Amino acid sequence: MNASLLNPFTVTHPTAVQTSLVSGASFARFDPTGKFVAAGRSDGSAAIWDLDTRAVIRWCEGHVKAVTSIDWSRNSRYVLTSSKDWNVIIWDLASPVDPPQRYNTIRFDAPVVSAYFHPRNSRIVLALLSTGEAYVVDSRKEHRARVELCEALSEDDDDERARSIMTTARFDPSGRHVFVGTSTGNVLVFNSRMKIMVARHRITGAGSMKSLEFAKVGRRFATNSSDRTIRQFILPTYPSPIVGAECAGLETELEPTHRFNDPISKVSWHAMSYSPDGEWLAGGAADPATHKIYIWDISNDGQFATALDGGREPLIDIHWHPQASRLASTTNQGSVLIWHCPSPERWGAFAGGFEEADENVIYEEGESEFDIENEVELAMRKKLQEDEAIDILGGVDDLVDHKMNGVAGDPGDEDLEWADDEPDDDWQGWRLKVIMVDDDDAY
Amino acid sequence: MDPLAGMDDSTTDDDNASQTTEDDPQVPDNHPPAPQPPQPAPQPVPQALPPATSGMRNRPNYELRHTLRGHTQSISAVKFSPDGTLLASCAADSLVKIWSPFTGELIRNLSGHTKGLSDIAWSTDGVYLASASDDTSVRIWNVDSGLTTKHLKGHSSFVFCVNYNTASNLLVSGGCDGDVRIWNVARGKCMKTLHAHLDYVTAVHFNRDATLIVSCALDGLIRIWNTTSGQCLKTLAEGHDAVCQHVQFSPNSKYILSTAHDSAIRLWDYHTSRCLKTYMGHRNEKFCIAACFSVTGGKWIVSGSEDQKVYIWDLQSREVVQILEGHEGVVVAVATHPQQNMIASGSIEPDLTVRIWSDRGSTC
Repeated sequence: MNASLLNPFTVTHPTAVQTSLVSGASFARFDPTGKFVAAGRSDGSAAIWDLDTRAVIRWCEGHVKAVTSIDWSRNSRYVLTSSKDWNVIIWDLASPVDPPQRYNTIRFDAPVVSAYFHPRNSRIVLALLSTGEAYVVDSRKEHRARVELCEALSEDDDDERARSIMTTARFDPSGRHVFVGTSTGNVLVFNSRMKIMVARHRITGAGSMKSLEFAKVGRRFATNSSDRTIRQFILPTYPSPIVGAECAGLETELEPTHRFNDPISKVSWHAMSYSPDGEWLAGGAADPATHKIYIWDISNDGQFATALDGGREPLIDIHWHPQASRLASTTNQGSVLIWHCPSPERWGAFAGGFEEADENVIYEEGESEFDIENEVELAMRKKLQEDEAIDILGGVDDLVDHKMNGVAGDPGDEDLEWADDEPDDDWQGWRLKVIMVDDDDAY
Repeated sequence: MDPLAGMDDSTTDDDNASQTTEDDPQVPDNHPPAPQPPQPAPQPVPQALPPATSGMRNRPNYELRHTLRGHTQSISAVKFSPDGTLLASCAADSLVKIWSPFTGELIRNLSGHTKGLSDIAWSTDGVYLASASDDTSVRIWNVDSGLTTKHLKGHSSFVFCVNYNTASNLLVSGGCDGDVRIWNVARGKCMKTLHAHLDYVTAVHFNRDATLIVSCALDGLIRIWNTTSGQCLKTLAEGHDAVCQHVQFSPNSKYILSTAHDSAIRLWDYHTSRCLKTYMGHRNEKFCIAACFSVTGGKWIVSGSEDQKVYIWDLQSREVVQILEGHEGVVVAVATHPQQNMIASGSIEPDLTVRIWSDRGSTC
């Protein structure tokens, strides 16, 4: 609401470290409001940081082995942590206690590599196990199920190809599809409602897929693979599968629109993240000695923009803020660096009605600028101006889409209707309760 | 502030009354502090009058319901809790009193401060109340238990004004040393000090998403700050005769409302630094008198006055639509109920009462 005061230029990429959160973290994720950061730790706990106060406000302690991934529900009420201890725990931050109450625990029979909420309903969880299997777990009453996503194989396949290991799994931003990367360099696309494979994309030369990342706006996604290259693709559209149809989906090769790599040192990438407007892509370099974030300008044909240097502690993870030009990068020592775009202090702002000029300007007097005007006329004009109607309540953007919850945007879209059925109670107006910390209670 | 705020005209008071923007070393003992209303809930009550957009304007019809007596020295602020079930008042007798606005009963005293109080603020959930005191500290109270949860120390002089952000994880306070401090509520620690003004900071307020802080001081300036970086983003200066004493954001945070010693209340568009509306007719030349928005029925501006009355203006037309009479002292504190058509007002000596006014019939 105050963009014009805070930021005279359009959103750009972050350039400097604003603060460092010493967290013992192995990765960090912003929540969708951008007010919090969840840091997953290798001791099995997760810390929720408040970026306003730069302090830990909740400890999610429930796992006995390292936390492998964290996801936030769309209004930040629920936090999901997955762990090597075979569990996925869903925490309810609306509970006014620390540690927060567990809303649900989902147990698997292998270490969980990653887990994600469905973008529209936190009752649906996608989990990937270290054995290379992906499950969609639905805990809604009407739909309660745990379904494994199985690659559909056509009959002429060789036996050796019988089953590829799944190495990464994500919902796309709409939640209609699950994208799975495999160790053989394929991207498999499943319909998340029917759990049927709708497409298999071969990515030539990629090797094993390491991660997938979607831009929130614009139909783009990027893959990170073992050939040390980040590829960006245009997201294809897929038809809804027909029940019972014997169809292994489209078998296509996807051609990347861009390839990003480091031509000199040929580093591989630990993580990548799109900016909220999809105009920038950040890649965290897996360099063992430095903390480097590469930023590419997607709107400018993927040109390399800059490499941010975060000091000596090597980088292991990055995540872009959901709204602002901020990044969170995690060092191998467990610190979470918050990057921002510093704005220079404008000393002219301290004087009322004072404008700073960049260069000397020869002032040209307007035609009637210093004419003495009739005071009655001036008062009249001011009075007329003040008759303008003012709206002191409306135009508030942070409380708008209450209706988004529960009601589908597109009637008739079966996939979305399915996801919106039995909505979770992650409503938008909920507030995290401030828990007072005792003075001698040191975090 | 001093308990005897504004009582004797024989000392330095007259000098302060005509204070200019120059740095003034005198102690303006005559400025009872300025309360800000709780952020009013955006939804109108069912019986809300239709918005007064047509030619025929509705007028409010507030009547006195209760007179709350109990404070022994000048009242400095009154605030409704965000759910509207409680009313808090504070005074120079160093007590916070919690009242029921519906019955007028005293529910609880919050005592602990060693000197007079200048301002109070409710947390958004209504569980906590922060109070700013002349003992240079801010206390955060658990209103249910009446105990101090946090004692915030750091100001080097009297604390004059205090406010929570919407998430209630931050508290901002302004002191007579010209500093604005931002506090981490959960830990009770000061996070940032802005050397904001050269004179008494008389009001501070967060905008809705807490990215901005507005402050005003007796140096006559209104400043807008970036909460995270602490940078000054803008300064609004009024005329030399218009020393500003109270400022707050509108409910949607697009405008700011300020009161000044030239007996005028102004609504500003702070992006363009333009004064959009001026409300006049009351008297305010000496005291720190608060103004607030009323949004539960018609859209009004409510303020106290030095002629012992409460004035209500129409937001759009700037006409005085009702004057509430009854207080026997200068009315320095006003607050509007977040859901109902109810106004609380507090007055300094010799009156020492909090009065509750409500508008029951939706007359046209």
